[in-house]
Amino acid sequence: MDWFPVWLSVRVSLAATALTLLGGVPLAWLLARKVPRLKDLLGAVVVTPLVLPPTVLGYYLLVLIGAGSPIGRFFESLGLELAFTWRAAVLAAAVGSMPLLVKALQAGFEGIDPRLEQAARTLGHAEWSVFWRVTLPLAWRALVAGTVLAFCRALGDFGITLMVAGSIPGRTQTLPLAIYDLVQANRMHEANLLAAMTIVAVLVLLLGVGRIARVRY
Amino acid sequence: MARRGVLLAVVLSALVVVTGASAAAPRVRLTVYAAADLAFALKEITAAFERTFNVDVILVLGSTGNLAHQIEHGAPADLFFAASDTFIDRLVERGAVLRETRAIYAQGRIVLATARSAGTKLTDLRQLAEPRVRRVAIANPLHAPYGKAAEEALRRAGVLDAVRPKLILAENIRQALQFLQTGSADAGIVALSVAGVPEIEWVPIDPALHNPLNQAVAVVRRSAQPDLASAFVQFVNGPQGRSVMKRFGFVLPGEP
Amino acid sequence: MLSIRLRKAFPDFDLDVAWDSREPVVALVGPSGSGKTLTLQCLAGLVTPDAGQIVVGERTLFDADAHIDVASRLRRLGYVFQGYALFPHLTVGENIAFGLRGVAKTRIAERVERISEWLGLQGLEDKRPRELSGGQQQRVALGRALAVDPDLLLLDEPLSALDAPLRRQLRDDLTRIVREWAKPVVLVTHDVSEAYQLCDRIVVYEHGRVVQAAPRSELLWQPASETVARIMSIPNVLRGTVVKATPERIQLIWRGQALEAVNSPARAYLPPPDSPIAFFVRPEYVRLIRKDRGRADPAHHMNVMHGTVVEEADLGTTWTLRIRLDEPGPPAQGAFDLEVEVPHLVYEILGIDRDRHWEFSIHRGSIHVLPG
Repeated sequence: MDWFPVWLSVRVSLAATALTLLGGVPLAWLLARKVPRLKDLLGAVVVTPLVLPPTVLGYYLLVLIGAGSPIGRFFESLGLELAFTWRAAVLAAAVGSMPLLVKALQAGFEGIDPRLEQAARTLGHAEWSVFWRVTLPLAWRALVAGTVLAFCRALGDFGITLMVAGSIPGRTQTLPLAIYDLVQANRMHEANLLAAMTIVAVLVLLLGVGRIARVRY
Repeated sequence: MARRGVLLAVVLSALVVVTGASAAAPRVRLTVYAAADLAFALKEITAAFERTFNVDVILVLGSTGNLAHQIEHGAPADLFFAASDTFIDRLVERGAVLRETRAIYAQGRIVLATARSAGTKLTDLRQLAEPRVRRVAIANPLHAPYGKAAEEALRRAGVLDAVRPKLILAENIRQALQFLQTGSADAGIVALSVAGVPEIEWVPIDPALHNPLNQAVAVVRRSAQPDLASAFVQFVNGPQGRSVMKRFGFVLPGEP
Repeated sequence: MLSIRLRKAFPDFDLDVAWDSREPVVALVGPSGSGKTLTLQCLAGLVTPDAGQIVVGERTLFDADAHIDVASRLRRLGYVFQGYALFPHLTVGENIAFGLRGVAKTRIAERVERISEWLGLQGLEDKRPRELSGGQQQRVALGRALAVDPDLLLLDEPLSALDAPLRRQLRDDLTRIVREWAKPVVLVTHDVSEAYQLCDRIVVYEHGRVVQAAPRSELLWQPASETVARIMSIPNVLRGTVVKATPERIQLIWRGQALEAVNSPARAYLPPPDSPIAFFVRPEYVRLIRKDRGRADPAHHMNVMHGTVVEEADLGTTWTLRIRLDEPGPPAQGAFDLEVEVPHLVYEILGIDRDRHWEFSIHRGSIHVLPG
């Protein structure tokens, strides 16, 4: 039984979740500010990964960061390969999970009474401080829910990863890709084992997070 | 306050984990991209090659179309065993593979398979039109050459329109086989090379019913070890390789 | 002390106001949606006006022409929001201390303690807002705004979220606090008596405009117009017809009665005969005439009328009577013509509970004419 896909998936999912948070929190904040034109355009872009078939999305990503593309060549010049490495797997998983985090967090931000943020401003706080000390804490539940969703989605990504990172055993074959491979080869026992592990891991995560996030205002 | 600390900690540790995420340096390694129908044959051959040459071979299987895309965009393949020649020719044109290494390594055959669980074995393509056959699995003709051949065979047998509503299009040959193995499809057209499984019975399909499935191989331009790659191709076409290939139903044009 | 000129246009509302104040406590009074809260928001820098100028003391906080727009956080003011806007995820102590940035920890604790004491919040420092009563929340909101020692305090409907008995008590508390703090305050309210008790100067808003700005007594006694009187909930705002107007006196007919009033001071208001005229009469200045002393002496009693008490209410120390004139025709204010207020003592001595029909007079100086 090859355990590589398990370790790879855990690392890829954590990294992808971190990347999603890095990009998604500011995005959600921007979208929640109700600047109308920006909101519509940006909102549509954010939702796109939910709408497009994963392999299509993966293909576009491949064109974007593959060997021949400007982005791909730039990273190669830095000595970093992007496509068909675990980095691409992280990118694929992040692209797939970003909309979930953004939408959940955006709803959380929008539910905050704007007067609370105004009060903070009148009390001498700059925008960053208002965000960090008032907005984010009040959206904590939405943030946790969004992050958990994002992590689960990252863990389970298949189509995008397949296209842009490939299903290269020992290199980019994440858990979902490995399970698929095993099912295709009709090695059902191993496939079931890996699938069960994934489910158990997610359950443990959800229970743990539920503890931390228990919040009452 | 504490919760935000937790958030920060999670993000930071994830980043730390990430920076340590690269794999250990391997010994010499050959990455072989291959169409799904070569699964069984190549697994055996690569094992032999590994022993003989003392290298690691990574076998990446998939549908020819997807793999071709990926190679075009820089996938880390050293060589590519496609399930047709058109894909290889396209890659030659695009400069993704080395023209001089292009070679035909097999001619594929398709078979009419019946899932044992579905009942009596079908012996003629035209029987697929019968009502007792509810679902027919083939590989997707759009990007899998064996799927295309299956479609052609159905058309030339005159039953394509009747069978079309019953078709289940699989990603590739392996998945088509899998539908049969699990009984999700009653019958299907799969590659001879993967038909040797207990769950199905099969009869050959006349090669005249479809364009020849000339399967070509080529060394990828970006490969860092073209000589080793060529050695692998020679191994496949050499005496050891040929006997395995024949066993799995791959014949060279001209071979009996 | 305060000088405000603001213009701000929205799709379905626009604000165009200008007023200033040398008095420390100013109340903005008017119906909902008249632009009072918007004014506060402009003052606080939460909304940017399209044009105008805001000067507080020596500082110009906003000047559209000079491109001055001081950021909210630098305006050094305290804002108590309607509904208080307390941070639900912080304790009372943390709420109060929220504005104390860059202050040493020990000093913060000191300041919070002092404020808690002053506002009667001791012992509550570790509680969350949701655990507090309405009155306590209001005081925390106040404390939070005052802790930063602002130059100007803005209060938006500070008492409207409270129920009536609490409101009276807190109104007194607030009065004391505002006086003790002794710095400029702008207060928004739709409750006229609240405004009157707490403030020195009242600015009356309607539909985004200022209809009158004046020291409080002037507003009560000399509302500039019927509109203002209505907003100020002054009772007995009535309409009659002019008979003759001179700079000192106006003779008018109301409900068939010939009345004489003094003309509005500072304005020689000279409406032509037969034009409509609005006026008001303060309920406590209607004099019921004793029946045991013979006929009313014209030297003491002017504008004599008679009518019947049709409604009454005991307000504790006074009685409010609603009198319908003996005159035929529909009464001026629904079921009655005039509201009259008499102290308990008068009510008892005159035996109004038994005797419902009365003669009464109104001094001409107590009939206040409302121009425009």
